[in-house]
Amino acid sequence: MQRRHLIASGAALAVAGLVRPVRAAWAPSRPIEFVAHNGPGSGPDLFARALVTAMEQERLLPGRVQVANRVGGGGATAMNYMMERRGDPHVLGVWTSLWLSLPLVQAEARALATDMTAIARIAIEPALMVVRAESPYQTAADFVNAARARPGQVRQSGGSPTARDALVRQLLMANTGARWAFVSFPSGGERMAALLGGHVDMMIAEPSEAGEQVRAGRLRVIAQVTEARLPGFPQVPTLREAGFPITDVVQARGVLAPPGIPAEAVEFYQDLFKRTSESPAWQRYLADNQFQGAWLSAADTAEFFTTYQGQLRGILAEGGVRLAR
Amino acid sequence: MDILGGLGQGFSVALQPMNLVWCVVGCFLGTIVGVLPGLGPAATIALLLPLTFGMDPTGGIIMLAGIYFGAKYGGSTTSILLNIPGEASSVVTCLDGYQMARKGRAGAALGIAAIGSFIAGTFGIVALTLLAPPIAAFALRFSSPEYFALMVLGLSLVVVLGGSSMIKALLALTFGLWLTSIGTDLFTSQSRFTFGSSFLLGGIDFMVIAIGVFAIAGVLESIARGEENTPLPVPSRMRDLLPSREELKACRFAFANGSVVGFIVGVLPGAGSAIASFIAYGIEKAVSRHPERFGTGVPEGVAAPEAANNADSGGGMVPLLTLGIPGGGTTAILLAALVIWGVKPGPMMIIESPQVFWGLIASLYIGNLVLLVLNLPLVPLFAQILRIPLYVLFPMILGLAIVGAYSVSDNVANLMLLSAFGLLGYAMAKLDFPPAPLVLGFVLGDAMERAVRQSLTMSMGDPAILVERPIAAVMLGLAAAILVAPPVLRALRRRRPLGVA
Repeated sequence: MQRRHLIASGAALAVAGLVRPVRAAWAPSRPIEFVAHNGPGSGPDLFARALVTAMEQERLLPGRVQVANRVGGGGATAMNYMMERRGDPHVLGVWTSLWLSLPLVQAEARALATDMTAIARIAIEPALMVVRAESPYQTAADFVNAARARPGQVRQSGGSPTARDALVRQLLMANTGARWAFVSFPSGGERMAALLGGHVDMMIAEPSEAGEQVRAGRLRVIAQVTEARLPGFPQVPTLREAGFPITDVVQARGVLAPPGIPAEAVEFYQDLFKRTSESPAWQRYLADNQFQGAWLSAADTAEFFTTYQGQLRGILAEGGVRLAR
Repeated sequence: MDILGGLGQGFSVALQPMNLVWCVVGCFLGTIVGVLPGLGPAATIALLLPLTFGMDPTGGIIMLAGIYFGAKYGGSTTSILLNIPGEASSVVTCLDGYQMARKGRAGAALGIAAIGSFIAGTFGIVALTLLAPPIAAFALRFSSPEYFALMVLGLSLVVVLGGSSMIKALLALTFGLWLTSIGTDLFTSQSRFTFGSSFLLGGIDFMVIAIGVFAIAGVLESIARGEENTPLPVPSRMRDLLPSREELKACRFAFANGSVVGFIVGVLPGAGSAIASFIAYGIEKAVSRHPERFGTGVPEGVAAPEAANNADSGGGMVPLLTLGIPGGGTTAILLAALVIWGVKPGPMMIIESPQVFWGLIASLYIGNLVLLVLNLPLVPLFAQILRIPLYVLFPMILGLAIVGAYSVSDNVANLMLLSAFGLLGYAMAKLDFPPAPLVLGFVLGDAMERAVRQSLTMSMGDPAILVERPIAAVMLGLAAAILVAPPVLRALRRRRPLGVA
């Protein structure tokens, strides 16, 4: 009853010329469920809601999109759900790097992002290598040299071994032969508190986490973990510029759909999210969170999944993390 | 920095009619969210966040802070009336609150919770106003070895929390410690005790366990005892629905204890208000002249945890506003909200956005008062719920417990876990195992394991790091004293002649 009402009002709006639906061979015939693997207020949830808001503001929406938080299993519940909805083109999900790393290390996580239908890669989250302002390390090389001189005594705070900060450490250690400790904390706040309190020496943080501390003169950026320098930190070299030729580990986010949906639907969503990602509302969201737009089409995103997972597998295996598949 | 001037400016902002309205709206919403089990303040703030985008940042953050504070107030209501913890922080309140309700003192317990919340909430905000920068510096000196010591201190409270048999208390505690290890291990990304289930990769939610072993098990136990036809004593005189002078007098130390413990634990990122309320309750029982009556419905048993979880809110604001570090889920969303409004939380906030900073702090004072005024008149009303015959009330409790456990993550798998923990709680009650140590182990175990492994990574495997730092050493000493005190006191007492108290 409610759905019919919605479709009717959608049709009325379309007739009135208020909605500019994306023209394609396929269009959704009922409200779209947009799955986020974490609770309200979490990163993937805010990302999904910001996409929906941008669609609404630009009137790109053909109907209604409802964000659904399918929480549980550290992401596995949402991933399983996408597999269960095989062939349903009215279900979408936000994917993050976790969707690619979780099945590699967890035998229980049987739903693979590579089996689902990739729609788009939308944004990447850059990172900065930061130390305390009082720290003797002025450059990434200073830090690495100190770690080489005192193996295991120099420390980095970070997340789990599959997170980007841990992967960058593995690559840097393999590249330089230096070794330093990696102290895992569950939340970004605890990682930052450990760094500010001087209990660890370095952290690879997102600009939104570290930016204010840098501005207040409490932290110093010694390198950027990015392809190119960020506009906010024009003076600081990227790791590659600083002489560490390691491949960039990107932390990306985008949209995918269940496996086996029609090609026309893929076409439709790819177009919809392309337009959404170009909208001013979305650009503002990127700027607020200091993310970078990094559009990849459906086909390129599917390829990205494979290459990224391959890269991840190599780094994790070298770091001694047990792989499940 | 001129605190008085800033605060004056803050009150002039917070007392603007529109901001006052947002404050009341936030407090009201927060109270409702607190009363409903499962739906927590973090999720509510996230869901309401888009509505506040159009608002002026000061008004918006004032409303969201009202929700944050209000949820802690409301959390005690279902704990006391129905034995269903409304929030993770009010689990401990069930222990004595529900027993008070069964003795006809529900109104008194609710009143004590409201008054304790007001006193401790105000204490937390005053401490936030006066001491924020030095306290934040203290919080940064806390690292993994100190957290380990804090968790050991918390676990040592099993001595006072346990029932008649220490062996049974320790078994329950160990089981709680095991339950908390289920899920994905942060340090290796490997799964533990998931038995092939992908749902368990994320671990078990604390609320599911608490609702199971308290609410469900409590109802089963009452039915087994054939209580469903005995009406609960609910006083008819208005005066008997509020705390008596003696009850309030008995809570004086509990209010102070809860305020201080709650604030200190609240300041530490990653400790959590459930830990604060457990520690405050444990201390209260340890220093009490009649510890044996705890768990049978003593007012101090309600006052200490409720005070602690409200002082914790003020404490949690310290790292958020002075360092830009969120201590928990709710403050993390407040931080996201501030960023969206263009306010940059962190060391520069007080300089660059003094209006928001002081407006927020002033609104916390006002919000606390609003919450007291809002909640006290509701006390007699809520107490009337217990006039409902138990054979009607029990199905309602079960229904609310199921809704609460489901809304934790909108997942049916949680309902199966809820049933399992309900049955477990019932079996434990039948076999005279106390449920509190199990919950204590679950709350502290995860954080303690992390702290040990972090510390050992920092020291390259040398365990001395756990005891050689001063703050950690003091806390471990306290824990040792708590563990050793009861047998020593018993031995001393035995030497004295009988008849001397």
